Amino acid sequence: MSLQNWRTINVDALDPDSPANFDLSTLTPAVNPVSTSDVQSLQNQIRQLLRGGDSEGALRGALENVPYGADDRGKEIHLATVIEILQSIRQSEMSPILSRIYQSEGGTEVLDALMKYIYKGMAQSTHAQSAKQVQPQSTGFSQIHSRGGGEGGGQAMSVLLSWHEKLVEIAGPGSIVRVMSDRRTV
Amino acid sequence: MAPSEVHHLFHSPIADHSFSADRQTLAVARDNIVDLYKRSGQKFSLDDELRGHDKTVTGVDIAPNSGKIVTCSQDRNAYVWEPSPSGWKPTLVLLRINRAATYVRWSPSEAKFAVGSGARVIAVCYFEEENDWWVSKHLKKPIRSTITTVGWHPNSVLLGAGSTDGHARVFSSFIKGVDARPEPSAWGERLPFNTVCGEFLNNTAAWIHGTAFSPSGDALAFAAHDSSVTVVYPSAPEQPPKAVLSISTQLLPFTSLIWSGENEIIAAGYDCEAYRLKGNEDGWQVAGSIESAGRPGLESHREESALNMFRQMDLKGKAKDDTQLKTVHQNTISTIRAFETSGSGVSKFSSSGVDGRVVVWTL
Repeated sequence: MSLQNWRTINVDALDPDSPANFDLSTLTPAVNPVSTSDVQSLQNQIRQLLRGGDSEGALRGALENVPYGADDRGKEIHLATVIEILQSIRQSEMSPILSRIYQSEGGTEVLDALMKYIYKGMAQSTHAQSAKQVQPQSTGFSQIHSRGGGEGGGQAMSVLLSWHEKLVEIAGPGSIVRVMSDRRTV
Repeated sequence: MAPSEVHHLFHSPIADHSFSADRQTLAVARDNIVDLYKRSGQKFSLDDELRGHDKTVTGVDIAPNSGKIVTCSQDRNAYVWEPSPSGWKPTLVLLRINRAATYVRWSPSEAKFAVGSGARVIAVCYFEEENDWWVSKHLKKPIRSTITTVGWHPNSVLLGAGSTDGHARVFSSFIKGVDARPEPSAWGERLPFNTVCGEFLNNTAAWIHGTAFSPSGDALAFAAHDSSVTVVYPSAPEQPPKAVLSISTQLLPFTSLIWSGENEIIAAGYDCEAYRLKGNEDGWQVAGSIESAGRPGLESHREESALNMFRQMDLKGKAKDDTQLKTVHQNTISTIRAFETSGSGVSKFSSSGVDGRVVVWTL
């Protein structure tokens, strides 16, 4: 009994009012669950728009129907959809499309969603790359020569970086802050 | 934009500042002491220090009529300082919290003050005659995280509070024997202690940094860490609000905001300058910075000698020294407060920040 080390007791676990014993999801904004098949059908619709040459409509459609309530698989599908649209839009068209969206009703919300996908896309492409390349050499140094090093990943990254640049010009640093502070993740 | 008054007091952050009603005394929270500055001519000079807290002081507020100063600190204590012939006399307040106190404000009636804390409670403190002591009652439910800010309603009963759980809430802090029964308003009719009159969340559920009631008390604004300001117009007790307007800005988040009139909000924060927002129940928008872009004085570059220019390029790799921000504040603004009010609303406000400056602005 006297051997009890009081300092290592997790007091929060014993306090019924503590946040450790509280379901934090009740504090976040409610999101509707979305099934993976719904995300998939949305992807098909958007692909159709894209084939029809309406890349702005496709972008809007994808960003206005963000599946916040989907599971990981559904979110991944939607990310692939958004990246596909972003890659299909030429660099010279980026700024006009973004400023048109920004000036329309609910535009900031749409652009915030775009910023989330840009960051998620960046995280993914570097992740895929480093998974391949982190092979500790015999010297003991791991050689990560990313920054456009990997062929496929590097290209996707440069597209995302130019979107990021154009987007910050229009939506300002506020959109970056919102990616960090928003509890609804993509 | 009339010229502003800039007081660079010291080189450490100012957590909070407060002017006395006659604007001759300025109290600033500096580390674990509160410095009292007295106005002498155009400047403020150090007059007295309030020592007593042993951790960072997070809030200081001077009651405009009684002149009492309340301070709170991360050491979990709050003191009420009263002037006496032998200097400022502190009285300990029984806060009964087990985490840091984060924010303190006198109610407009000056009979109470509210202390926000990391213990997920707001301590509403009042003076108990028979014990000669400041005691507190806790607003507890349904707060789930640290209270970062509180803002009083003009009736001294309703209290707006912002929390790191992303909610801005309106509570009743009615204390029998201290408060007069408040007039029924759109927020509520019967208001026993700890009535939750409203609970608001914006889209992103980001941390709340600042809350304030409009001068009439019929609207609540809060600034969150998602660079937004949300304005809530209640309709009737127990009813959903008439309008909840959220303005997402292109700027960095605001940390503090005040209403300068029924249709105008001043907000400042991580962008180191204050912005004006205008609007009404139909919509709000950012109406621009308070600092005019081409403010004279700071921009005037000295004529550099060629030797100096090349030396700079050699030493720093650049010809111009660009370590100065273009704003008056050189770091985040942490608090803004109304400084002077005229008939129509706030005509001057003061701001203090991490750069150790207190600035008075004319609107």
